[in-house]
Amino acid sequence: MGFDNLMLKLDESVTGLFGQWNIYSSVIVTLFAGLLTYQLATRTDPDTHPFLLARQAQASPVRNEGESPVYRSQASPHGMPLNAGLNVKDPGASKWAKGRDGDLRDIWRQAVAGVQDDGPNKGATGRLLTVLGTENVTEHRLDDVTRQINLIGQHILDQGGNRVAIYLPNSVELVVTLFACAFYNLTAVILPFNQSDEAVISMLRRSAADTVVTAPGSFPFDHVVKSYPALRQLIWVVDEGSKHMDWNEVPQGTGSSVNVSTWQDIVSDYPVDAGKELPSMEGQKEPRDVTIFWQSRPGTTEEMVRFTSANLIAGVSAQVFAIPTSQRIGPSDLFLPADSLANTHTLVLTLAALYSNASVAFNSVGSEADDLAIATRGITPTILVATPAALLKTHQEMGNTVASSFVARNIHWLQTRTLTQGVMPAASFLTSYYDRFRPAIGTKPGKLRLIFTAERVGADTARLSSQILSDLRVYTGARVIYALTAAKVAGAVAQTGFYDYRIFDDQVSHFGAPVTSAEVLLRDTSAQKNGDGDSRGEIIVRGPSVAGNEAALGVEGVVRDDNTLAYV
Amino acid sequence: MDYVEQRMAQEAVRPGEGSDSLFTPLNLLLASLFLYTAYSFFKPAPAAVIPKEEPAIVFKTFTPRTLLPFNGENDAPVYLAVRGRVFDVSRGRNFYGPGGPYANFAGRDASRGLACGSFDEDMLTKDLDGPLDTLSDLDGEQLGALQGWEERFSDKYLVVGKLVPVSEAA
Repeated sequence: MGFDNLMLKLDESVTGLFGQWNIYSSVIVTLFAGLLTYQLATRTDPDTHPFLLARQAQASPVRNEGESPVYRSQASPHGMPLNAGLNVKDPGASKWAKGRDGDLRDIWRQAVAGVQDDGPNKGATGRLLTVLGTENVTEHRLDDVTRQINLIGQHILDQGGNRVAIYLPNSVELVVTLFACAFYNLTAVILPFNQSDEAVISMLRRSAADTVVTAPGSFPFDHVVKSYPALRQLIWVVDEGSKHMDWNEVPQGTGSSVNVSTWQDIVSDYPVDAGKELPSMEGQKEPRDVTIFWQSRPGTTEEMVRFTSANLIAGVSAQVFAIPTSQRIGPSDLFLPADSLANTHTLVLTLAALYSNASVAFNSVGSEADDLAIATRGITPTILVATPAALLKTHQEMGNTVASSFVARNIHWLQTRTLTQGVMPAASFLTSYYDRFRPAIGTKPGKLRLIFTAERVGADTARLSSQILSDLRVYTGARVIYALTAAKVAGAVAQTGFYDYRIFDDQVSHFGAPVTSAEVLLRDTSAQKNGDGDSRGEIIVRGPSVAGNEAALGVEGVVRDDNTLAYV
Repeated sequence: MDYVEQRMAQEAVRPGEGSDSLFTPLNLLLASLFLYTAYSFFKPAPAAVIPKEEPAIVFKTFTPRTLLPFNGENDAPVYLAVRGRVFDVSRGRNFYGPGGPYANFAGRDASRGLACGSFDEDMLTKDLDGPLDTLSDLDGEQLGALQGWEERFSDKYLVVGKLVPVSEAA
């Protein structure tokens, strides 16, 4: 009977408890069921396995005394050669044939030929666009650009040019001159735009250029002709408004040793059919070097670096292979460099975009844009190369707007949480409220899918923490790749993984694993010494994309637990 | 069933006790269940961590004397030298470690023994302080065998140092 009484008591207490059910209980249970349904419905697997992010580079098993082990990307492990070339196959060769490394000429040939892989995209080519002002977008046809490459290259060669300095803002003419130098065996020298007169003359002197391709208004012609007698040829790239003026004039007293012509004159002097065929591949000579000037802090002299064609190709190849196959740059992408093309990293990325048959847009304002809205006016880029300063500015503006709204703050928190779990937040009803706050990048914000940005060693670029990078991913809806770039390395030394969205408590984000064309080791300095399992010291980079095959970056770094490179 | 009917009748007769307040014990129970589930869904999950790799071995310069202790005894790694390169053969401890058939090679210069295909004592350099074995009196076939062994070692084992005679060690 005692047991029965116990059961009765239990029964009565349970009934009593649930007898208190009222409207509030129903509400709470409904909310609970809603929470469970939401979690079940929105559960997605992370974009990449977390263990792949937990160790991103491979250390060599043996290290030298006073140095750290050599770190390489998982995609080019120790024992295999580093990624040195584009694997260019001649048209008609089998898909499995071994390709050759290639050079700049092959990049343009590929851009003109279109996608080679069999599939829905076969033969698709990208477009070349120039953005003028806010509304005007002009397209350049690929065969027209090929014609310009041929005619300009032939003209410079005929006039006895050897080393061609290019002093232009971001424009099609810059790229055309670069390819013309590649096809006609001239050495290209790319000067950073908008420098002081003395800096320009000093750079011309150091690079021993005898031809200059430049735009009127920014080039101190009189001054240069007086101070730099080695100049033989000058080509003005004149815009529409000034075409009527006579640019062939040479100032008095210069002895007319300089041959002045305009781009339009050269291109229109020949019949329309001339120059449509690129020089053939048989019998082409060894590719020549490209010289660039690396700008450190404003006020210091630029560092002159000579890259062989192999260095640039290795850099391009590393950038092409850094992105997972399903997300690679393709003909449906519009690539916009909102950073000067005189920066090696931006140049290498532009070449990679051309090689991948993407559409490329040039905006002459984009060279020094501190504001992404200005640089992207008039078009909708899907891939953007931006300076850290511009991104920081966008981040600050957007951060203020979001912080002021309660709902936006919480949606931002929710999306950041989705990111740290490894999933890129997708557009949904919940986030449509958030869309009105998005920064105005391009005419149709929301199509952007990838942003490249680079920390330049020694140049005092703005530093982005991993929290800022994550916020940028949420604000723009695009993935952000943060690269470490240096003077003597074509492309990047190391860059964050495509699917790496982790947030750490740091001032400067880590730079990810080394790219596939370079390996990194750290050498002891007086302040930072390597220990067993603890790698720190001066960053040394080796590989086919490094000028001179090995370079010390002059900055101290540390390798973190997940084998990514970071500043100390 | 009788019991159930009886209980149902009992409960139906009883006047309603339901309170309309938010803070009844049932509500508090349900609410705490809800909040705990929400907390466990939304709390930040720590990032996945995998154990670190083993620290890299430091590349050292060995003399015949300093190489000697690395013969696998007392849990030391097993090293042997072939033509000036020191290989870490600890993975082949069954062969080269103490008690193994080739234990004579452990901690020594094994070049002559590999070339001649012999594991005898007289294949090893006797004088540890003298110059290294120059292998100049080996014929083509033996040098070929040595080359083959060296390639197999390079594929299979890690080079962790180089061997120099005592006179060259600074």
